[in-house]
Amino acid sequence: MKYAVILVALLAGCAAVSPVPAPTPTPTPTPAPATGSVPGAPSVAIAGLMESARADAGAGRYAKAAASLERALRIEPRNPRLWHELARVRLKQGEYQQAESIAARSNSWAAGDSALRAENWRLIAEARAARGDEAGARSALERSRGR
Amino acid sequence: MGASSVRYLRFALLSVALLLAGVTLYLDHRVRDEFGQRRFALPARVYARPLELHAGLRIPRAAVEQELRQLGYRETAREDEPGWFVRGRNEIEIALRPFVFWDGPQPAQRIRVAFDGGRVASLHDAGNRDIPLARLDPLPIGGIYPGKNEDRMQVRLEDVPPHLVRALIAIEDRRFYSHIGVDPIGLARAAWSLLSGKVQGGSTLTQQLVKNFFLTRERTLRRKATEVIMALLLELHYSKAEILETYLNEIYLGQDRDRAIHGVGLAAQFYFGKPVQQLTVPEAALLVGMAKGPSYYDPHRQPQRALERRNVVLREMRSQEHLGAGQYAAARAAALVVNPKPALGTSPHPAFLDLVYRQLRRDYPEEVLREEGLRIFTTLDPRAQAAAERALTRRLAQYDRERRFGDSGLEGAVVVTDTQNGEVQALVGGRDARMRGYNRALGSARPVGSVLKPAIYLTALGEPSRYTLLTPLDDSPFVWKSRGAQDWRPANYDKQFHGSVPLRVALAQSYNVATARLGTELGIDRVLASVRRLGVQRELRPYASTLLGSAELSPFEVAQMYQTIASGGFRMPLRAIREVLTQDERPLKRYPIAVEQAFAPEPVYLLTAAMQDVVREGTARSLANWLPPELAIAGKTGTTDEQRDSWFAGYTGDRLAVVWVGYDDNRAARLSGAAAALPIWGEMMAALDPEPLALPKPDTIEHVWIDLQSGLRADSSCAGARELPFAQGSAPAGRSPCTSDFPSRVRSWFERMFGR
Repeated sequence: MKYAVILVALLAGCAAVSPVPAPTPTPTPTPAPATGSVPGAPSVAIAGLMESARADAGAGRYAKAAASLERALRIEPRNPRLWHELARVRLKQGEYQQAESIAARSNSWAAGDSALRAENWRLIAEARAARGDEAGARSALERSRGR
Repeated sequence: MGASSVRYLRFALLSVALLLAGVTLYLDHRVRDEFGQRRFALPARVYARPLELHAGLRIPRAAVEQELRQLGYRETAREDEPGWFVRGRNEIEIALRPFVFWDGPQPAQRIRVAFDGGRVASLHDAGNRDIPLARLDPLPIGGIYPGKNEDRMQVRLEDVPPHLVRALIAIEDRRFYSHIGVDPIGLARAAWSLLSGKVQGGSTLTQQLVKNFFLTRERTLRRKATEVIMALLLELHYSKAEILETYLNEIYLGQDRDRAIHGVGLAAQFYFGKPVQQLTVPEAALLVGMAKGPSYYDPHRQPQRALERRNVVLREMRSQEHLGAGQYAAARAAALVVNPKPALGTSPHPAFLDLVYRQLRRDYPEEVLREEGLRIFTTLDPRAQAAAERALTRRLAQYDRERRFGDSGLEGAVVVTDTQNGEVQALVGGRDARMRGYNRALGSARPVGSVLKPAIYLTALGEPSRYTLLTPLDDSPFVWKSRGAQDWRPANYDKQFHGSVPLRVALAQSYNVATARLGTELGIDRVLASVRRLGVQRELRPYASTLLGSAELSPFEVAQMYQTIASGGFRMPLRAIREVLTQDERPLKRYPIAVEQAFAPEPVYLLTAAMQDVVREGTARSLANWLPPELAIAGKTGTTDEQRDSWFAGYTGDRLAVVWVGYDDNRAARLSGAAAALPIWGEMMAALDPEPLALPKPDTIEHVWIDLQSGLRADSSCAGARELPFAQGSAPAGRSPCTSDFPSRVRSWFERMFGR
């Protein structure tokens, strides 16, 4: 928890320096191709799993939804959308700590997707609020607004 | 005869009758109590991860075929049943078996998998439609067995083909349906042979069952009498069908290493690779015939004897009119075909099973695991496990032959995990991977040496205002004084001191003195806190020598520690289990992925860059003999005092592995991390076609061209310059003279200064 606060503070501090984080290619290490797919767009392999996960989550079958998402993540471990959806399911399950950590994991793979990052920060804010961490929730919400 | 002797006789008879009644009552109680609730202990079945095929998957065709063969898929097409595959040009056609997974049943399915290079190019169903995903049934990798390692798959009588039942009755107990538990004719024969001095034969199926179920193996008259009484009681209380079904599940039909094959259900799988329902007449006759002596008539070792015994059963079936003449002729003519004997035992991967068992024991009592027939779905990747076993066994044998590091008898251990989710893909606990017993991957804690150093550098890089990859560290003689302890004077591996060295070089070259000074500067407690945050739960002693790896950890604990680094600072408990189903295939428990952010991404990113330099130019550069530099692998070697232990821990984009090599008795040797453990790591990873490593770059990290000579800013035009990562604002401000916009007069001055 303490580290999460530090992290948020750190990220917030840095954001003041560069308000719009632009994804830059890394020279060493060479960018790895995501397993079996073009990064970004969900491949056909996981589209079906994502769909059934959404249906299961919508119907309250969270364990089943999480299982499908984890299965999809084994196929595309670097897909930030999948991590985000898993965080959402964890949030619904009342696993707030996990929801927050998994959303942070999603953020770590979502360098180029500011919309998804904003969604993740909103989710983190929700998880923190649910745990009673109002200050943490506020700062996450600020992050979600790109500040 | 006097009145008194008559009285005595009466009294004696009465006593015997009372005693007999008492014994009978007692036996009746046992029969009803124990047989009445007869529930066979069913072992937990343990499965590897199912292979998921999809377009783009990195896997060579040969690896898919290998897995299908391991699963017992046959290499010939059959129209009527699944479980086969056919190779075409650059593709495989597979008739997938049905299987019940955690998320539900998956029907049998015909698929075509096309390959291109080392990847799956496309996936089609029988109607030539694209399919997104196909899941093979998972490989059984063992079980958790009840006492005496009895293994069985329970069957119901109605699932057993009638010809099997008829064969059994024909050869073992032809009057089964008419007798009362004991066959008077058989009993008379047994009595006669008893009088002639030996106890033998004449047992009905009921008696045999009583014998196996309640009694010991000794052959005494008293035991025989007990057997007879209990057989009569059994028939009194239970139907013929109940007795027969129990017999068919109880019967001992062979041995697979330490695993005892019980019941026709498991025997059908073990010998013929099919469910009992599908047994043919000659197959059923073979199983039934083997009951007389499963090792004497073992079809794997004694095929001729087994064949003759089978034919005896068939002849008996024919003579009792259970087979028509045509059926009999066909069955007799059938060749003896049994599955090749799998070297499975209770498991081919006992070290991994040990881990599964330990993780399950947190949630289930022992008897549930050994008796409830749970289905355990694990994370084992058979391909990674095979590569790990092969590399360890092969290399250690070679070291022994060459006496390269000392006497023969070197041991080792390997742990392989998925960098992205913490799943344990392989675990080897010793050079004989099949041997049960001492599991060095989990059970042995050994000094870790320099493998602990990343924790120190991670702590330092968490303070970007004080430490960057270029910060000069002091590698000159160092004495650490602490009250109540001897002075500590760390030395380098090469017995030299290297003066001022950049931080990244101190790690890459594993300089002990510079690292010890750095660790004490940061504070031993802070470093140990980092070790804990990395996931090591064992309490390490807060001594300065701990910094240089006098602390003892198991290979599994080292893997847990590196996992947190490999996943970018997210700690994930290493998991060996995904899901558990009940015996009747209902979902029971899932072990979800668990993630906790233990470190900010920036220091982990910087540490990874430094660990990539270990492989690129440092103590692990010999890894280039196995793996190309483009993979940008990160790792760390470890060698301990007097070279007793050799470690290598490292990760690619998709897999993390830790290798330990040493002697069980901890004797001094000539081991070093780079010489002993690293080749095993390299050979294993090379067999697994790793993905390149690329941690996601945090926004707050910038890459700056650096002239390595001066440690100043450079540009791409500078010879010998490299891009290095820095936390924002921490890169050096000064410009190297090699940059094109540098004033030429100053540049020449600089060049004189730095001798270029």
